[in-house]
Amino acid sequence: MATSRNKNMNAKLVLLGDVGAGKSSLVLRFVKGQFIEFQESTIGAAFFSQTVALNDATVKFEIWDTAGQERYHSLAPMYYRGAAAAIIVYDITNQESFERAKKWVQELQAQGNSNMVMALTGNKADLLDARKVAAEEAQTYAQENGLFFMETSAKTAANVNDVFSEIAKRLPRLQPAQNPSGMVLMDGPAQTPATASCCS
Amino acid sequence: MDETASYPPIEPSNFDLIVVGTGLPEAILAAAASAAGKSVLHLDPNPSYGSHYASLPLQEFTSYIESQSSDSSPISRPDTDSGYTRVGIATRPMYSSVEITSYSAEPLEQSRKFNIDLSGPRVLMCADAMIDLILKSEVNQYMEFKGIDGSFISDGEGNLENVPDSRSAIFKDRKLSFTEKNQLMRFFKLVQGHLEAAAGGGGGEQSSESRSISEQDLESPFSEFLSKMGLSPKLKSIVLYAIAMADYDQENRDVGKSVLKTKDGINRLALYHSSVGRFPNAPGAMIYPIYGQGELPQAFCRRAAVKGCIYVLRMPVNSLLMDKASGSCKGVCLASEQELFSHKLILAPSFAVQSPFPHSSPDTRDFRLRNTTEKLARSICISKHSLKLDVANCLIFFPPRSLFPEQVAAIHVLQLSSNVAVCPSGMFLTYLSAICEDDDQGKKLLHAAINVLFQAPVSGSSANNNSAENQSETGDARPALLWSVLYTQELAKQFQDVLDNIICTPMPDGSPYYHDLLGATEKIFQELYSGEEFFPKSTSSEEGAGQELED
Repeated sequence: MATSRNKNMNAKLVLLGDVGAGKSSLVLRFVKGQFIEFQESTIGAAFFSQTVALNDATVKFEIWDTAGQERYHSLAPMYYRGAAAAIIVYDITNQESFERAKKWVQELQAQGNSNMVMALTGNKADLLDARKVAAEEAQTYAQENGLFFMETSAKTAANVNDVFSEIAKRLPRLQPAQNPSGMVLMDGPAQTPATASCCS
Repeated sequence: MDETASYPPIEPSNFDLIVVGTGLPEAILAAAASAAGKSVLHLDPNPSYGSHYASLPLQEFTSYIESQSSDSSPISRPDTDSGYTRVGIATRPMYSSVEITSYSAEPLEQSRKFNIDLSGPRVLMCADAMIDLILKSEVNQYMEFKGIDGSFISDGEGNLENVPDSRSAIFKDRKLSFTEKNQLMRFFKLVQGHLEAAAGGGGGEQSSESRSISEQDLESPFSEFLSKMGLSPKLKSIVLYAIAMADYDQENRDVGKSVLKTKDGINRLALYHSSVGRFPNAPGAMIYPIYGQGELPQAFCRRAAVKGCIYVLRMPVNSLLMDKASGSCKGVCLASEQELFSHKLILAPSFAVQSPFPHSSPDTRDFRLRNTTEKLARSICISKHSLKLDVANCLIFFPPRSLFPEQVAAIHVLQLSSNVAVCPSGMFLTYLSAICEDDDQGKKLLHAAINVLFQAPVSGSSANNNSAENQSETGDARPALLWSVLYTQELAKQFQDVLDNIICTPMPDGSPYYHDLLGATEKIFQELYSGEEFFPKSTSSEEGAGQELED
């Protein structure tokens, strides 16, 4: 779904990771500049868009959150389809969430398209005292598996915008049409009125 | 990651509604109930979404229909002292007479590039209530569509002629005579005039030629009305079977099981005509979801999840929990042994409940398939060439008696190409279906259609896999079959409720679009939550989506 129009491109980005790793918080910080201390595990919106400006172009991310369907490993193939980028999130204070992140990477490698840009993100980097996953360990894993790695804090905003900008930079400029694309149905006035011969 | 044992226990354990099976009706109901603020748990024993409405890779498709063609006996479990009687759940066979023929290894080698619909042939009419629901429920942001290129009507030799389905199509048609064009044009005008008069009342100026069709005519069989309007037999056939999409022979009354009345025929015509050109990018009346029909249940499930519905795949329900005193269902017991409670339960049609009453017959009570004499014969064919030169995605109709004199039902055909991401590039996927009384009759119908549309490679030479090359040598224009399956599907139409708080959803029907299915689903919602609105118009659209997604 990475489609380019001149220098502006649209890219579908999916978030993966353990429940509680901070996927939604990262998006909220990136899209709205907000942080909510006790974010409910399922937020009422699962679809955001935000544009990142690069030197000579813009990338509009269509960001898909899991809507809680990852809790019992019940994400639909629809979720991965046509994704140009993925952020796999773990919690640096939780070793288990890092192990799960690795499983999500495997799942992506099986389901996603091969030139997807993948970012491994160790979130909650503000909680240094409680750190359980060493940055070096994650860095090594990321390198071995073709991901780029950053530690972030949705709470302090550290590195959050950087993850998205880095993804934008790494997106292939001229994405070959990997997936057939069709039309998106829109209702009413958002669309130019159909010049149809049919009745009102 | 398919070890259900590693699932954390489901929390909470009480829900307003538990839905078992993720077919389209179940998915819509889960989304509708979640949108109405109910707490919903949605379970499926399968590893993928969609149940009988799924789109699956080739290998998964064949194993699914094979697994659903045999009975499974319920696992009986001793009652615990929780105060409930545990009643086993079994799966009933929904498919029979599965017949797979593989002429080439190629399709199976690329199994994962297929998204094969279990409920095909099916398309979306642009003006159908289903499209309105897709927009209203905001699942449109999860999906993309492509237009169907055209509709054709076939004669007994497989010659495909354009269906002149709109005024401009009539103008452009090269096969119709001048008289026929006039007849059809006049008829379309008459219908439009009638509809405008009927809808008009206060709105719009009455055109001079608008006049209503008499009440008597509206109640008469549509085929008689078409004759009365002076349509030639060929035009009648086109209107009846390719536009109004009637299933049964409308002219032979002995077999005419369901006679389409003029008013219903006119409504279908109106739906068709208002579908043409509704969306600027779809010139025709119909569209198809990229990646297959199975995207629809996934999209509604995602919608439900956004509204708080909890999803657990790969989780069979072993038994229902019946209140010992009242005998009513209070919840379910999962394969993981966890007990979950809800006063309302929706089951996909393939689940059968054992009799909850110990004194009655120990057999699985067949409380749904009663009174069902119809079945649906389905087939899927894979080839390397299109049925019609330069056409990628199209519908084809075989009217009754077009193939052989005893052919009582119309056959619907849908060909799809790789541009809707349902098969590898260079291949074509063709769905066929026909209503039938039994498996033999259904097979006969579909075999006759397949034989005029395709050529089967000579047996024995299949290993050489050179059928495509042979095609040009023999001068046979029919595409060679690479792979095919034929099977019969049960049509569990009406749920006879033995247990008043369990509701069963319908199987995919024989219609090539979603109108009736959605109607049945909405009715279930009204039964469950009378007075609640079916997908209330949301006050604020999903974050940022409303104004941001403009193309």
